[in-house]
Amino acid sequence: MPSVCFYFEVHQPMRLNRFSVFNIGQNMDSFSKYFDENLNREIFEKVAKKCYLPTNKLLLDLIHEFDGKFRISFSLTGTFVEYCEKFMPTVLDSFKDLYKTGAVDFIEETYFHSLSSLYDTLDEFEDQVKMHRQMIKRLFNYQPKVFRNTEAIYDNRIAKKIEELGYKGIITEGSDRILGWRSPNFIYKPVNANLKVLLRNYKLSDDVGFRFSARDWPGFPLTADKYAHWMSHCEGNLVNLFMDYETFGEHQWTETGIFNFIRHLPGQVLKHNHLDFVTVSEAIERYDVVGDIDVPWAISWADEDRDVSTWLGNDMQIACFNELRDIGRKLKQHKDKELLHTWRLLQTSDHLYYVSTKGFEDGNVHAYFSPYDVPYDGFINYMNILQDLKQRLD
Amino acid sequence: MKVAMLGWEYPPFKVGGLGTHCFGLTRSLADKNVKVDFFMPKTKHSVSSENKNLVIKEVGETEIFPYDRPEDKELAGKFFEAVYRYNELLVSKVKGKYDAVHCHDWLTMKAGVKIKEKTGTPLVLTVHSTEYDRSGWIYPNQWFIDIEREGMEKADKIIAVSHFTKRVIVEKYGIDPNKVSVVHNAVYPIGEGKKTNVVLFLGRLTIQKGPEFFLKTAKKVLEYEDTRFVVAGIGDMLPKLISQAVDLGIANHIIFTGKLTEEEVRHIYQISSVYVMPSVSEPFGITALEAISAGTPTIVSKTAGVSEAFKNCLRVDFWDTDEMANKIISLLRYDPLHNMLSKEGKREIELFTWDRVAEKTIDIYRGIL
Repeated sequence: MPSVCFYFEVHQPMRLNRFSVFNIGQNMDSFSKYFDENLNREIFEKVAKKCYLPTNKLLLDLIHEFDGKFRISFSLTGTFVEYCEKFMPTVLDSFKDLYKTGAVDFIEETYFHSLSSLYDTLDEFEDQVKMHRQMIKRLFNYQPKVFRNTEAIYDNRIAKKIEELGYKGIITEGSDRILGWRSPNFIYKPVNANLKVLLRNYKLSDDVGFRFSARDWPGFPLTADKYAHWMSHCEGNLVNLFMDYETFGEHQWTETGIFNFIRHLPGQVLKHNHLDFVTVSEAIERYDVVGDIDVPWAISWADEDRDVSTWLGNDMQIACFNELRDIGRKLKQHKDKELLHTWRLLQTSDHLYYVSTKGFEDGNVHAYFSPYDVPYDGFINYMNILQDLKQRLD
Repeated sequence: MKVAMLGWEYPPFKVGGLGTHCFGLTRSLADKNVKVDFFMPKTKHSVSSENKNLVIKEVGETEIFPYDRPEDKELAGKFFEAVYRYNELLVSKVKGKYDAVHCHDWLTMKAGVKIKEKTGTPLVLTVHSTEYDRSGWIYPNQWFIDIEREGMEKADKIIAVSHFTKRVIVEKYGIDPNKVSVVHNAVYPIGEGKKTNVVLFLGRLTIQKGPEFFLKTAKKVLEYEDTRFVVAGIGDMLPKLISQAVDLGIANHIIFTGKLTEEEVRHIYQISSVYVMPSVSEPFGITALEAISAGTPTIVSKTAGVSEAFKNCLRVDFWDTDEMANKIISLLRYDPLHNMLSKEGKREIELFTWDRVAEKTIDIYRGIL
């Protein structure tokens, strides 16, 4: 009997100010200098109203309506929580209300939604995971058992580290490249670590996340009973539906019917006697490992390529990534807490995402999310800021 | 299919995008088995064609080619007289059966309209620029506008070199948008050369092309980077620009080349590290494609037609000299940025072929047959 495991990624990056070469080396308070407070606040409040608050309310109602049988998991990034605490504490309260129902689980990740797992050493990564752990402990008095790295970036090295840090499970993409003929609807084990790996069912997840309102998709219009019917025919133990939380009301607008879809989904799923809902922690407790996965090169759930080329796919991105890492080496010799935090905010993967040139000529999904005209502008802005930060250390 | 094309300039003699366009278009049309009689004024240079489908017909004679808006009154008078004479001659020389008569800009519109009225041959008009563009949107001259409007109204089909220009045709000249198709320009790739420490402006030194913004930007860049700025081309603003460079105190970093030969133009594109096209108004801007085809990262004005069509370039508001300087300095400092724009630009430029322009033009001819 397959269990439906819903997990939502909740993240907002700290978007950057327009920062020209002429700003490099000018003395100002670093935080307000690098980050566009007004824009960030505006976007956060907009998304909170369109997505976070209404969706949290809907999910809370559904959990009550189905008496806790509707179960979900969340991952909140540190930058997201900082936004909540700064601009709209009610958003955080609504997550606390959800947690109190007992039907909601939290997932660990790096505090800064960063690419620190790709550095040559994993000490910074470990620091950021521990920061996130402390944050979840502080907010919910809870310690997550399952980890999911930024955009599900995963390889054997990361799995090993996560085992060392005491987690029982890890989430990544159900990539064909690592599975071959095998199904993502089972639990696997890394070849080199004692962990349970939950694999995203990318087909069914993207049916909601990307295709829900695509009129040229054969599945359109997607209704709750149709979707539940598809899941009832799935093989295996688990259907892992992992998506951005902003899917609801932000990527897919209210007008698409996305909220109606969610409203009816638990009822339609539970109509099938052999289906139920589980949180990520319950999934790894309930089901056993059926096989190994071996991932020597990093995978992720991003783009068609489902690797790290989304962030490190061109020379501009690699130059920024290296610059950032090198700045970190210098910075750790200083004992400046504020600079350290700023450096870490700059590690948020979104900044490199905006510099991606993959398929940008077709005006693809990168352009939709990017605050820049072209990736080249994203590079100039980001690199100028990194140069400024570097100068502060000298 | 047989077309009478009424041209004005044509390589080796050319001063603007119109000549470049006619050259590329007529050769590719001929390759695609369209018979083209290309009419142009006789010049000192002899012009010929290797393709039997393309016949160059030189009509009359003129020595005056200031392209569009001579400032000097006496020269202007002579120029308009020459254009007028040329148009009259065309009407008597374009004889025989054609499927379409195709003219370019106001220069041959009067002849096109008359030939259509006389013979009933469908009229196609390509708009490379309007009076609004050439004036930089300052005091456009009604005399040109009237000629342009009449040509646009009488034409069966209009080809605009960008959506930007199509909007001008629709909004300023009141033309039915369904009659206007957009065909972006193309380029014969120049090929890469060894880059040197040069930031290039290349174009007519007129208000339309925004050379004064280039100099203001140069001043800002020079406070941070030691580089040379080349201003290539001639035009009525040259004396003013030279004094501007002196006043800004940057004269020893600016090179005014004067008029360049085709060979010199190719060379300067190849050795430049950055090409800047800060046009106030630019219906397309083929020079941007030329620079990019030479592997030179290019900064174009946001309103230029090329910026709506070409992705791998940087865009600025022509008046935003701070941002222009930011982008130039970034290109000089950050190799990965420079290399990627150069590489990706050359890759994308392969899509901008005259064959594609000819194919789209043939579709438009077919639509009116």
